[in-house]
Parts: sequence; C-alpha cells; structure tokens
Amino acid sequence: MIRLLKILEFALSSLARRKFKNFSIIVVYSFTIAVLASVLLLTHSLKKMAMDVLVDGPDIVVQRLSGGRHDLIPADYSGIIEKIPGVGRVQPRVWGYYYDSLNHTNYTMLGIDEERQRFVMVDGKAPADDDQCMIGQGVAGAQHAETGMDLLLIDGNGIGYSCEISGVFKAASDLWTNDLVLFTKDALRRFFAMPDGLATDITVEVFNAREVPQVAQKIKRLLPDTRPITIDEILHTYESIFNWRSGLMLTIFTSSLIAFSILAWDKATGISGEEKQEIGILKAIGWDTGDVLTLKLCEGMVISATSFLVGVSMAYAHVFLLDAPLFVPVLKGWSVLFPRFHLVPYIDAYQIIVLGFLTILPYMASTVLPSWKAAITDPENAMRGV
Amino acid sequence: MAGTIQVERISKYYNRNRPDEVRALSEVDLTIAAGEALAVNGASGCGKTTLLGLVGCMSRPTSGSVLLDGRDVSRLPERFLGDIRRRTFGFIFQQLNLIKSISVLENTLLPLYPGKLSMKEMKIRAERILARFDLTARAGVKVSRLSGGEQQRVAIARALIHQPQVIIADEPTAHLDSVLAAELLDILDELNREGKTVLIATHDPFVSNHPLINRVIRMRDGRIVD
Repeated sequence: MIRLLKILEFALSSLARRKFKNFSIIVVYSFTIAVLASVLLLTHSLKKMAMDVLVDGPDIVVQRLSGGRHDLIPADYSGIIEKIPGVGRVQPRVWGYYYDSLNHTNYTMLGIDEERQRFVMVDGKAPADDDQCMIGQGVAGAQHAETGMDLLLIDGNGIGYSCEISGVFKAASDLWTNDLVLFTKDALRRFFAMPDGLATDITVEVFNAREVPQVAQKIKRLLPDTRPITIDEILHTYESIFNWRSGLMLTIFTSSLIAFSILAWDKATGISGEEKQEIGILKAIGWDTGDVLTLKLCEGMVISATSFLVGVSMAYAHVFLLDAPLFVPVLKGWSVLFPRFHLVPYIDAYQIIVLGFLTILPYMASTVLPSWKAAITDPENAMRGV
Repeated sequence: MAGTIQVERISKYYNRNRPDEVRALSEVDLTIAAGEALAVNGASGCGKTTLLGLVGCMSRPTSGSVLLDGRDVSRLPERFLGDIRRRTFGFIFQQLNLIKSISVLENTLLPLYPGKLSMKEMKIRAERILARFDLTARAGVKVSRLSGGEQQRVAIARALIHQPQVIIADEPTAHLDSVLAAELLDILDELNREGKTVLIATHDPFVSNHPLINRVIRMRDGRIVD
C-alpha cells in the first residue's frame, strides 16, 4: 500500500511536469465526455419524464380518421367499445390547441370530468366548475399567472374568455403538462365551439394488459373509420423519437469523438522518445515492469477520473441547470418549442457506468499499452528510445 | 560476501541476422570478486558499456551466462530483473540518465519508490546522501539547471541511495574536471573500503591508475585481451 501511494505521488508530480500537455488532454477528453453525457442525460431525462406520465395513461386512444386525417369522433362510439369483453373505462376526450398571440406560444387545451381526480402532480386542485382551469408551468410562466388568478383567453368565436386558475402542474410532469390548460369538458366544448356529441378522441382502459392488441383489433373491426393507438405504440414512438434524436445528436458530434479517437490512437501507437527514455531510466535504477505499469495506470486514472468528473459535471450543468441550450431544439421537439420547461434531473447509474466504460477504458488502454511495450523492453534499449 | 559476479562465455549481438548485425561482445569470460574494484579499459566501441550492461542485468546476452553470487540471472524474466537491479546494483551512467525536468531531490529518491521505506524515511536518507555530496542547497533545483559536475554528483547520489552491493560506473569522469574526477574516485574508494564491489569502464588512465583500482582488464573488438 505504501508502495502504491508513493508511486501515486510520483505519478502526480510526473503529470505536473507535463502540465500543458496533460491539461490539453483533459480539456479535449472532458469536452468529449461532456458532449456524450449531455446527450445521454438529456435523452434519458426526457424519456423518463415521458414514461412517468405515459405509464398512467390510457391503454388505447381511439381516433377517428377522415380523409386520412384526425377528425372529431362521435362520443357514442364509447358505448360500442364498452361492450367489448375485457374493456374497462371508456372516456371520450375533448382537447385541442390554442395559440396565444400575445406571448407567441401554443397551449394544449384539455377538457376533463371524471378523470380529474387522477391528476396528482398539482399545486392546487383540478377545475371543479366551468369557470375554472388548471395550467402547466410553461403557461403559468408565459402568463405570469398562479393559482387563484384569472386566465384570459380568446375563444373559438373570437370573444374574450376568463377562468379562475384552480391549480398549476408541478415541474416533474413538465414534459406533458408544460403547455397544458385544463378545463371541464363542457367549458372546453363551448370554448372551441365544438358540436355536441363529438369528442376529439376516446380513451380506453383494458383490464388485462396482454389483451390490449386484441382489443385494439376488435375496435378497428367494429369501427372501421377509427384508428386505435395502444400505449405500447405510444411508448415505442416516444422511445424511437428520443433515440433517433439522440442518435442524430451523436452523429452531429461525431467530430468530437473522432478528435478524441485520434488523440487516443496517437497515444496508443506510441509514446514519445522522452517518455521511453524515462521508463528506461526507471527500470535501470530498479523499477520493475509492474511498478512502471502502476505508474502509468495512476497517471491514466488521474487524467481519466478528472476528465470524467469535469465532463459529467459540465453535462449535468448544461442539461439540468442551463436546460441544454445546445441540444434542446433537436431533442425536445416541436411541442415545447415555445413554452420553456425545466428538466428534472434523472441520473441512471447504468448510463454513467456505460459512459465510463466507453470513454475511460479506451483511454486507459491507450495509455497503458505503449507503456507496457516500453516497460518490457530491456532498460538499455528503452533508455536509447528503441 | 555478496556481490560476486561471474561472466561465462557471453556474446552479445545487436540486430542479429540482419545486414546491419553488430557483434559487441564475443565469448567473454570474467570473474569479479565481491569487494573488488575493477577497471575495464579500451577504446570507444570496444564493448565496455555492453559488458557493464550485461553484468548489471540491463540487457541479456545473446549467448553465455551471467552469474550473480552463483545464480544465473541472464535467463531470468524481466519481471525479476528489476528487483535484482534495485537490490544489487547502483549505476552511474556515461550519459548520466537523470530526469532533467525534476529536482535533485526527486531524482535522488527515484530508486526508493518501489521499496518499502516510507516517504519520510526516504527523505531522511536522501538528505543524508545529498549532504555527503554537498548538494543539500541544490535539493529543490531542477537538474537541468545544474552544472555538469553537479549533475554527475546527483547521478552518484542516486546510484548509492539504495545502498547497493555493486557499483557500476560507465566513464564516470567523462564530464568532470581533474579536481572533481579525483573527488569522485575518492568517494568510490571509500565505498570500496566499506565492502562494495566497484566496476568502472574507462579509457581515462587517471582512473585506471588510481589506488582504488585492484585490477585492470583491457578490451578490444568485443574481447578481453589483457
């Protein structure tokens, strides 16, 4: 142990001797790790936020198609769907979009009734009357509004509409609620001037999760003008979108990976004559191959650990403190372009381990292998730089 | 007494079986008794440095054996040789081979890092040996800022700090004026009186004729001729 500590001390002084070279390596290395970690942390955080909300969502969403486009669906379709064996609650939903021209932001408007008790991530309460509404953090920020204040909008007939804000969603559900305004269904129908008996879509709960695909097929058979979308399809779509976007980001930043690879390759293919000579001297005066490798491992670990900590810290600050200004336009997507939202930190130990494996291991190998080659050479040759 | 070295019919070739093959040593036999002070004379390129390197386990012979206290060390794997070099030999190289970007103290401490001494004990030992070579005031100075003579003394301090049984010096007076060369030989003489085996490669008659030297051998074209 004393021996290891002494060699570690020598490794630190050795790194300090080549401080400019090592500082440059740490800068490039940290930047590479920061880029990779930012993409991973951001993607994971977005996925996690999406999954947290979706997991409590309906098993199937039934939309009506008209001319290949989403159209309003008759609310009485819910009666037909309810009769399918294994189907639980069936709810016609009323929702749509609202463009706030004053703030240049889009809001998602959703009507609720029976399901209001299911919204648990709320400061305040769900709207109980037609003159109440509940809003997301982004809407609250854009309108400078909070619980108890009035929200002023222009309805489908171009007339001013005011409702009391009964609650505001918490930040943890921002991915889905940031731009959300909740009303009672009746209030929202009136707001959108939507005909009675029609809904935007219908949500379906299935008792046995394994039967969801079969129920979806039956709905399609019974109601050919509809498109049933299962929760798995929604989850899969989100997963694919985030994976595709993170893949896109990684592709864009391939240049930094290439730069790092060149650095690693440069180290892997050889060490400088000065370093070889130094290894030769150490061996000539009594260091054995294991001591030299320990020294180089210590040097590599110090550089790797420093770069990893700096890189991951930079990524954390970039993603969770600054809300990933460099990547967010690509990774968040269109629905949150206007209202800003704050990412909630979710860090997966597995991801950090994978990141460490992908970055530290190649660097350590590129540091130790050439040193090992020099260390197994006779000291006489190593001192001559052979 | 530990420190007996036997060299049996050793040959050393560089670039073997290539057009630029060099035969540096050819079937050399030599025995150095423990506590002996031996000078190896000869012109540049005659094989003195190669012989010292083989004796000090710095490289391996192409054929033949090197026995250290009766044990053949010429066929041992490299992983064992580091330990043997540290425990047995102190090298004073012709080119000094100091790490010039670190201080006098750090250079002197280098052989002790793999050992069992604590940093505190290492530093106490270094302070003693630096004082012996009048380098105390220069302990924190980078080696690159020292004069040739001072660098030579650092190299000697480094060679002796781990108290080796055999001191191997390759042209140790090459960078020194006559006063410093005499000082160095006096130090080696003192160490030899303490029982250390001293092996010096030189073509400087001043070294060969110094009272320190018990025996002189001459080399030519990779062979011992006298």
